[in-house]
Amino acid sequence: MTATSEPARQRVMTSRPDLFGLFALSGAGLLLAAVGARWVTGPLVPIALGLVLTAIVAVIWTAVAGSPEAKRKIAPYGLLKPGMLWLALFYLAPLITLLRLSLSTLPSRFAVDAELDWNIGNYTTAFTDFAPQFGRAFLYAGTATVFTILIGFPLAYVIAFRGGRFKTLLLGLVVIPFFTSYLIRTIAWRSLLADTGQVVQLFDTLRLSGFFETVGIMDNGRVLNTPAAVIGGLTYNFLPFMILPIYVSLEKIDPRMVDAAHDLYSTSVEAFRKIVVPLALPGVFAGTLLTFIPAAGDFVNALYLGSPNTTMIGNSIQDQFLVQNNIPLASAMSFVLMFIITVFVIIYSRFFGTEDLT
Amino acid sequence: MNQRPLPRSRRPLSRRQLFLRAGALGAGGLSLPALLAACGGDDDGGAATTAPGTTPGTDAPPANGGGDELFFENWTAYIDPTEDGEIGTVDRFIADTGIQLRYSEAINSNNEYFARIQPVLGRGERIDPDIIAPTGWMAGRLIDLGWCDPLPLDQIPNAANLVEGLRNPTWDPTGEFSLPWQAGFAGIAYNMDITGRELTSIDDLFDPEFAGQIGINTEMRDTIGLIAMSLGIDIETLSSFDDAAPAFERLEAAKDAGQIRRFHGNDYFDDLTNGNFAACIGWSGDVAQLALDNPAVRFAFPESGGTSWADTMLMPKGAINRDAAATWMNYVYDPEQAAQITAWVGYVSPVEGVRDALVEIDPELAENPLVFPDDATVAATQSFASLSEDVEAEYDREFSRIIGA
Repeated sequence: MTATSEPARQRVMTSRPDLFGLFALSGAGLLLAAVGARWVTGPLVPIALGLVLTAIVAVIWTAVAGSPEAKRKIAPYGLLKPGMLWLALFYLAPLITLLRLSLSTLPSRFAVDAELDWNIGNYTTAFTDFAPQFGRAFLYAGTATVFTILIGFPLAYVIAFRGGRFKTLLLGLVVIPFFTSYLIRTIAWRSLLADTGQVVQLFDTLRLSGFFETVGIMDNGRVLNTPAAVIGGLTYNFLPFMILPIYVSLEKIDPRMVDAAHDLYSTSVEAFRKIVVPLALPGVFAGTLLTFIPAAGDFVNALYLGSPNTTMIGNSIQDQFLVQNNIPLASAMSFVLMFIITVFVIIYSRFFGTEDLT
Repeated sequence: MNQRPLPRSRRPLSRRQLFLRAGALGAGGLSLPALLAACGGDDDGGAATTAPGTTPGTDAPPANGGGDELFFENWTAYIDPTEDGEIGTVDRFIADTGIQLRYSEAINSNNEYFARIQPVLGRGERIDPDIIAPTGWMAGRLIDLGWCDPLPLDQIPNAANLVEGLRNPTWDPTGEFSLPWQAGFAGIAYNMDITGRELTSIDDLFDPEFAGQIGINTEMRDTIGLIAMSLGIDIETLSSFDDAAPAFERLEAAKDAGQIRRFHGNDYFDDLTNGNFAACIGWSGDVAQLALDNPAVRFAFPESGGTSWADTMLMPKGAINRDAAATWMNYVYDPEQAAQITAWVGYVSPVEGVRDALVEIDPELAENPLVFPDDATVAATQSFASLSEDVEAEYDREFSRIIGA
């Protein structure tokens, strides 16, 4: 009888620490998110925070004073805890707040606080009134991403395979512009691209203006405040985010694999296509995410390099948040943007796969 | 009526230099500071502010009332700075009164500025500036919302110098909340090097020749006002949205056609002087100053007439340095001091007696009809009707839909 009950009790004992760890982790996370999202207010806040603290102390206590088996079981939860609590407070809580705001209505024109009334209208407005801005955001960001690949891949390839002892220097040169603020660099382009600036003068001198007008890069003698300038700005600003991941992928490729391909009678083009490109794909995938997602939500480039007809959804959200003070609508637009980007990323990763991304 | 002689300041000042000194952030819109201010929840003047000539003395006593310095948030390039051996009004005030003054150029447009202060004042909290400078209509909104403190007029004897025409204005019928800072006109500002000809009408702004080279002001009353006047609409008697609807349609059509390069607030100087704008809707005094740098920059009333407006000084609710603010307002309503400001900014002073003082400083400017409007100038301008709340909301909504991102 004891023989049968003993293993059973042991099973419960051994499964307890991880159950407890999971409970403490999710409970503390939810409580923290609830405090952050202001579901819990007033005197309940110290109580909730006390419970969070208790859960943390209890997990640490189990990890320190428990049996070796218990320590082993609870370790993952203990290690996950800082990250989970961080996400609960700084990701989940704002997200909940944003969701609630997106379903609210401003009671009057100059009201400060929106009232939650499950107003789906914000979402329909976001779709109906801002469809062109959504379209342009993804068009410009997509085009810019393609350009960053076209420019970044050869550059990363040359640095990785032909850089030799200058590799570090060349990579440094890619990163150095980042020592200057993003905003300053974008505004600097305004002077370069101005109607009387160096770029337009150069085009005129080289008699390229007519050609650029035809292909749509220039518009009535202008480069600044055209779609081309916005896409150019996005490409320029996000280029390093493409170069660096591709470089990391290419750098890991053993050059002897290319040699082996040559030994097996493949041409240089075939070797590049069958060896280098597949091995570099994880870098392209990571670079695409790092470029496309922030570029789709960017408003700085369209603000300083664009015109009223090139505004992207980021500009609209910024305008609604900070100029119109229509925070419910701005929240709904943010959610729609997040949703569309998520769908894009899911579709994209189906095609390219994430399992190689290590 | 078309081409006005430009007001000439005595001092060859360069606003471009002023801007370069203000840093690159000042150059293009105030969205980042607005973002920072909104994130911070309080209003500390924004990052893109500059205080021309504010070099705080070290031994000056702290101002009264709890705050350690008077804080005035004003529009860009709207006061004479200390420059080229001349002491600016801010520094003269500090030297004369011993009151520390923090002067900041944080206002680029009424709507942008309102968006920054609304979340704070709307919650019944205090913003940092003791004096702000909204345009009349915005002052009226702030007064109606109860977000202003009455001015301590008993401490501002010089308020008696207020010109007759600006007493008890529509936005402040009792005159107890605001004193005008400067008044002026909106019209066509253009760069002769780019246009190659003089511009004389609002139609020129919609000329396909300048496609993509036109700046349009985000100040609805100036932009819609000028366009409506060009369509023969009397803007002083607007009472419903339909009255001005054709002007909105014309603006939107131009935007859709790619005519408009950028919608701008007070930040149009660079684009106009470096030729990105062939023309834009500008303000009289600004353009006069820009012309000192680049004579190709001109200001003209359109044939159909210009708009007139006044910017105010008012104290947001809960302003700490009331006494110091009163001292400041009293100081700038002294005609001698006001004349110094007028000589630099080239706007219409609300202070009686400035002309006599200005004759000593700059006799040419004292004769300029943009600074001392004659009957012909007054006849050629209109000021935008004071709209009822609902109608104003409709105008604002439609305008921000067109100019908004």
